[in-house]
Amino acid sequence: MTILEVNSLTKQFGGLTANKDITMTVEEGKITAVIGPNGAGKTTFFNMITGVYQPTSGDIKLDGKSIVGLKPDEVAKKGISRTFQNIRLFGEMSVIENVLVGMHTHLKTNLLGILLNLPFTKKEEASAEKEAYRLLEYFELDHLLNEKANNLSYGAQRKLEIARALATKPKLLLLDEPAAGMNPKETRELTEVIKRMGQEFNVTVILIEHDMKLVMEISEHIVVLDHGEKIAEGNPEEIRTNPKVIEAYLGSAAVH
Amino acid sequence: MKAKLASYFSNKWLQVILFSLFIIVTSAALYFSQKSVVSFLLLLSSLLILHYMSLKNVTKWITALGLLFILIPFASSGGPAFQSYMEVATMVGIYISMALGLNIVVGMAGLLDLGFVAFFAVGAYSYSIFATKQASNFMPFGNFPLGGESFWGFLIIGGIMAAIAGVLIGVPVLRVKGDYLAIVTLGFGEIIRIIFNNADRPINITNGAMGIASVTPPEIFGITLSFPNQFYFVTLFILMFTIFAVLRLEHSKLGRSWKAVRENEIAAQAMGIPLVKTKLLAFALGASFSGIMGVVFAAKQAFIDPTSFTLMESFTILVMVVLGGMGSVPGVILGAAVITILNLQVLTELTNWLNQLSLSGALSIPDALSPAKMQKFIFGALLVVFALYRPKGLIPAKNKIFDVKKLKDHRPDHLNNDTEKDSVPIDKVQV
Amino acid sequence: MLQEVLQSLPQVLVDGLTLGAVYAVVALGYTMVYGILQLINFAHGEVFMSGAFIGTAFFILIMGMGWAAEIPQFILLIIVLVLTASITGLVGVGLERVAYRPLRNAPRLIPLITAIGISFILQDVVRFIAELFNGNYIVTGPSLFSEQITLKASSISSIFFDARIKTSFLIVLGVAIVLMVALDYFVNKTKWGTAMRAVALDRETASLMSINVNKVISITFFIGSALGGATGVLFAVQYGTIDPYIGFILGLKAFIAAVLGGIGNIRGAMLGGMLLGLMEMFASANLSLLTGGVFGAEYKDVFAFAILILVLIFKPEGLLGKPTAEKV
Ligand SMILES: Nc1ncnc2c1ncn2[C@@H]1O[C@H](COP(=O)(O)OP(=O)(O)OP(=O)(O)O)[C@@H](O)[C@H]1O
Ligand SMILES: [Mg+2]
Repeated sequence: MTILEVNSLTKQFGGLTANKDITMTVEEGKITAVIGPNGAGKTTFFNMITGVYQPTSGDIKLDGKSIVGLKPDEVAKKGISRTFQNIRLFGEMSVIENVLVGMHTHLKTNLLGILLNLPFTKKEEASAEKEAYRLLEYFELDHLLNEKANNLSYGAQRKLEIARALATKPKLLLLDEPAAGMNPKETRELTEVIKRMGQEFNVTVILIEHDMKLVMEISEHIVVLDHGEKIAEGNPEEIRTNPKVIEAYLGSAAVH
Repeated sequence: MKAKLASYFSNKWLQVILFSLFIIVTSAALYFSQKSVVSFLLLLSSLLILHYMSLKNVTKWITALGLLFILIPFASSGGPAFQSYMEVATMVGIYISMALGLNIVVGMAGLLDLGFVAFFAVGAYSYSIFATKQASNFMPFGNFPLGGESFWGFLIIGGIMAAIAGVLIGVPVLRVKGDYLAIVTLGFGEIIRIIFNNADRPINITNGAMGIASVTPPEIFGITLSFPNQFYFVTLFILMFTIFAVLRLEHSKLGRSWKAVRENEIAAQAMGIPLVKTKLLAFALGASFSGIMGVVFAAKQAFIDPTSFTLMESFTILVMVVLGGMGSVPGVILGAAVITILNLQVLTELTNWLNQLSLSGALSIPDALSPAKMQKFIFGALLVVFALYRPKGLIPAKNKIFDVKKLKDHRPDHLNNDTEKDSVPIDKVQV
Repeated sequence: MLQEVLQSLPQVLVDGLTLGAVYAVVALGYTMVYGILQLINFAHGEVFMSGAFIGTAFFILIMGMGWAAEIPQFILLIIVLVLTASITGLVGVGLERVAYRPLRNAPRLIPLITAIGISFILQDVVRFIAELFNGNYIVTGPSLFSEQITLKASSISSIFFDARIKTSFLIVLGVAIVLMVALDYFVNKTKWGTAMRAVALDRETASLMSINVNKVISITFFIGSALGGATGVLFAVQYGTIDPYIGFILGLKAFIAAVLGGIGNIRGAMLGGMLLGLMEMFASANLSLLTGGVFGAEYKDVFAFAILILVLIFKPEGLLGKPTAEKV
């Protein structure tokens, strides 16, 4: 079943066309990768899906309904969550609080409940805390729960971003270079986690990644962007042998 | 320094004994002396020591309440300076409450509001206009001034009016980029003051620069409140409510969303937090604390005019927050207390003292340097020094510490009959 | 009513242009610093105010020396302008070093707070010095260029009244225009000006291109503060009486002018300054008339802030600025 449908999506920044006429679909439950050389427009693509940038033209449909024009928080409420290429944690907050922020939209309490510390607020908060802790355990960050996010290692920060994104209980999770800056061991572990995650959290993953080994290993579908255009699409085997893709990568300086 | 001292005396009983001695000595000194500002200040500072003692939070709270409601007013009552002590303590309470309000906006949500005093003014004018004949100039019905019992209702009305003002200011402002917020709020602070200053024409609402005099004093059970020691208790009750509310908010869903917006707006949005709404709520809640105290201030002074609500007041409250520690509730309480006492007591005392010295010819300080005039310099230096060397303030904000044991309990919640166990007990909230 | 508005128009134009020229040059300082550091240099208004005091001190000092009476007023003005601008320029550089540079990577709130602190310190130091030497912090300088000229607007058309101007009006306007043209030339045509624009565009890339970013920032502060100080002198000449608190609100309005023109944009600041000056003078002359006496001239500050808010809501990039999207 199709979960995300993108139709001739275009984004221009002044004279620069960062995304041009991109059309693609994402199947529910399958891991999709978006790859391409530096500056190809991958992050811009994510930014449009999550409402951070408004497309110049084109349409984006989640479960058949257009989400163009929604603000990022509204998109998040529709069930799309993401991580960021340049990590954007809540640095001064603790690790577990970061995850709790991810649960924001699922907490139903209100001002009165908070001020009077009503029983339903207490209960909801307590179960949210437990749930957040379980997520931390899943990413092996539980021993760091009271640490400030800023004090975490790079790899741990990347994992925390994923945990926080999952806390929003998304249908669709966009990971922007989740393995960037990780060492080989961390990357291997992450690969495993991403593979498992889809089923265990019932979420469809789209990821941007420069680490080809990781991409080829976990993706079921790959979309290649170059200079803002989609130049190829297919399963890992097809992409590996596609001459256009090889040219795009060899033709540019960015071979990873 | 005090923290070190406390960790040195880590033995709980030793701490308790020394602390008891300290308050006995200072309160005795205060009670039996004619006027001793020093012992008054020392007695107040016992609350700070209490903060650092290794006792259970419940114990600390009970002790603090005992000190504030019983010991401090009693010990001050010994000499002729009773009312002036109570006056200072009341002002401290008013400013703490305001600083806690601003702390929500600046410290938690990270929005630099430089016109905060506007909300104080809104509260103050709400009561003053209706508790004097002013209101009859424009109200088609009703009998003004309202009686002193209306004060209690106005505490809520003043808070609501200030919150409304906060939203009105916030709606246009919070859409713009963060940097401009400081300028725009500063502008609004001035605008509100200018409006109060000129709203005596065409209809006389605020009586303009003349101010509003003879504001009806509050009344409760037939007792008219007009002395500082009476207002001390009113202020203390409201302050306790404020502190309680702020602590609740800090570690709630709301407090977290404010901090998330402060730390990273884009990530916060991606987590489903609506920016404008969240910021507006911070603005409105912060404003309401200020508005409530505005009502108290107006009633206490019985006279208000626009000069009480200048830019300088807004900056003073900001200094309190920065000095104490942005985002830190105990820090802001300390900051507000220190600055208020500095303003009301230390600077004036120092000026008097220097004047006496120069009168007696011991030394001559040019009048331009008199401490009472140096307020701006002192505030400026505090802001710069703290921003550069101690940006987290006197008592830096702390995150709540989560207890792994409570979190590890993996039973699904609906199987959990013992809900008490899940609750966050008050002693886990860091004070 | 229209007739009354028209009658006062020549005077409004003259006053508006004078005030606008002051706003424009001060706005340059805000816009340059903002363009390069994305920092609102709150203390800039105080640099302007210090300039007014330093300039006045020089005037008093030089004119106190007997032989100096021989110097033509205009030469005297140039000397004082140059001296003052150099001093305030250095003050600006020092300010950046002490209060802003250590905080370049701090959360954005923090440098704003130091800026406010510095602003207070400058106000109080100037107050202190003025009070010490003058006995009072409100200072009146020697009167210069005070001949009155009558602008015979009524001879153009009888619907206008004549406008009265002091010679200093022409001086203020003339010098301000010279300063603005010189700055525009500097920024667009010289090596350091190019470096400045490069740093404003992208600090990291600029430093990779072996541009000395710190030096460029220092130069920016020097020029901005020198211009601010010089405008302070002009202000003192034009309005005569100064006090340590003139810089705060004037600085705010200059900042509004910079936003109106498009923050970071030098020509925008000039345009914004002139427009704001004209609008404000127009408002203060006619508000009461136009609103049937409900709002008087005392609302003219409200008016300036209202403009700021309208600009921020409807055209946040300002008149000459380009809209930008934050990169995520
Ligand atoms: N807000 C913006 N304003 C102007 N140009 C932008 C903006 N965001 C992105 N761009 C430009 O769009 C192009 C595509 O950028 P994008 O970040 O999407 O690339 P990418 O494929 O994610 O690259 P990388 O692999 O380096 O992350 C780049 O040339 C970039 O400079
Ligand atoms: Mg990218």
